[in-house]
Amino acid sequence: MEIARAKPHTVVRGTRRLPRHFIENAFWYVVLSLVAVITVFPFIWVFFTSFKGLNDPIFSVPPQLIPRDPTLENYLRVWRLLPVGRFYLNSILVTFGVMVLNTLFASLAAYPLAKMQFWGRDTIFYLLLATYIVPPVLTSIPSFILAVKVFHYYDRLQSVIFPYLAGVLSIFLMRQAFKGVPDDLLDAGRMDGASEFRIWWDIVLPVVRPSLATVAIITFVEQWNNFFWPSLMLHTRENMTLQVGLVALQGAFANDARGIAAGVVMTVIPIIIFFSALQQQFVRGLTGAVKG
Amino acid sequence: MVKKSSITPYLFLAPAMIVIAVFFLYPIVAVFYYSFTDYNIVTPPQWIGLKNYQVLMRDAIFWQALSHSLVYLLVTPVLIFLSTILAIVVNRRLPGINAFRALFFIPVISGSIAVGIAWRLMLDTNGIINGLLISLGVLAEPFQWLAEPALTLPIAMLLTIWLGVGYYMMIFLAGLQNISEELYDAALIDGCNGWQKHWHVSIPGLRPQITFIAVISSLAALQVFNEIFTLTGGLGGILNSGVTLVFYLWRQAFRLNHAGMASAIAVVLLVITLIFSITNIRFLERGTQAD
Repeated sequence: MEIARAKPHTVVRGTRRLPRHFIENAFWYVVLSLVAVITVFPFIWVFFTSFKGLNDPIFSVPPQLIPRDPTLENYLRVWRLLPVGRFYLNSILVTFGVMVLNTLFASLAAYPLAKMQFWGRDTIFYLLLATYIVPPVLTSIPSFILAVKVFHYYDRLQSVIFPYLAGVLSIFLMRQAFKGVPDDLLDAGRMDGASEFRIWWDIVLPVVRPSLATVAIITFVEQWNNFFWPSLMLHTRENMTLQVGLVALQGAFANDARGIAAGVVMTVIPIIIFFSALQQQFVRGLTGAVKG
Repeated sequence: MVKKSSITPYLFLAPAMIVIAVFFLYPIVAVFYYSFTDYNIVTPPQWIGLKNYQVLMRDAIFWQALSHSLVYLLVTPVLIFLSTILAIVVNRRLPGINAFRALFFIPVISGSIAVGIAWRLMLDTNGIINGLLISLGVLAEPFQWLAEPALTLPIAMLLTIWLGVGYYMMIFLAGLQNISEELYDAALIDGCNGWQKHWHVSIPGLRPQITFIAVISSLAALQVFNEIFTLTGGLGGILNSGVTLVFYLWRQAFRLNHAGMASAIAVVLLVITLIFSITNIRFLERGTQAD
């Protein structure tokens, strides 16, 4: 699967002969492989460590990477001590819940901002723009107090879903996408007597499907890896998401590198599988925000 | 564009605006109020005027945290430098280049908590880094990487860079592919060699991306938390060597229950962020005007 198509301008031009070209390519492969080793090594090391039994040392000179006597014992130990199944379930619920609702609310809110004229439109837009600059951590103190005293959802999954149902970045991206939809298309719908809601759902949304995917993917990655706020809210182990659970595991397995490694692998594997299956969409989604 | 004075647009906006009002707008106002109070979250806040700010000005750890956050901004130029070079390299037409691009992107999606914990294991006294360095003869005995105050911040910054390079590389790559081929041809005719060509064509062509990344990566650097949290096991490093503004805010609010004091730190962080954003946006506008 291609991530981005290379333009041919990097092809060596002119009268260079093949051997030189060949050596140059070999040089670039060496550079690329070095970077690849630096990038992948922590994952490989954690992966192999998670299968090491007590007979395979974590520390040795020279270092031993691959376990001689691989075992699933570390995974079983982690599953026995922590409700890992619940971590997964909670992470999936939160990530997909937020992803669907955030994308929906953003595409609702962005539609009038892009395609209608009404009192307060610019004010609302600049207000949104201003909140985008505010560091998320700043809102955590009042949000914490709200969660405990007003919403009474401390230590419940709602607490890590509700605050993310509207994202300013998502609204911007959708507004940008709607602006690209020709007004003629909307007017045609209005001629037919369709309501604004129908026009939005039947005509506009199908056109901006790539942008919907972009917003969904950004939200997905953000939520799967979200830690700061969930770590403040989710206290009981049964209610933790994977990221929060992983930190709890790190605390509970303080001197057990093998167990912690198993936890890291379990946290990272789902998103890496997702990424491998949908590389193109992931990269386009996550970098697509730049042009938006 | 339809001109209607109906409630339709407001109905579309309502769900998102309610969420934003409750979880963004109200907290921004509230945090200012709390910053003027003595508040431990349990008993009602007491108005104490500027006292939190006065205490903060005399608090050595606050100044330490502020300087750490500013030092942390050094990740931005390093990130821009490394990811530009990497983007130029992966823009070559080589067989299998897409596999490398995908590989370099993996840290971006794997999340700073899991990766931070993995790094902590690797840097442990009994970790693979010591094992490798000893067998290469660089070290004679295991070194306590994470117990050395002078190294806490640099290691966290290295982790931030490692996590971010792949993302910024992809943004630069997209930028490179938008640069017109003719510009490179012209550079070749003018006698530019390979790297000169990039200096005279690629780098100027990437200016919008460079500005964008300068903005987002410096804002992210000012708000760093996860890297510090995982590498120091939530403690902030020996002698507060890894305590940044956000980490200090977190500790004051959620470890020590000093919500008022933490709110004052939040306001300081907001002011710094605003100064930064305004400077950056000015810079960005100047950049686009010149185009």
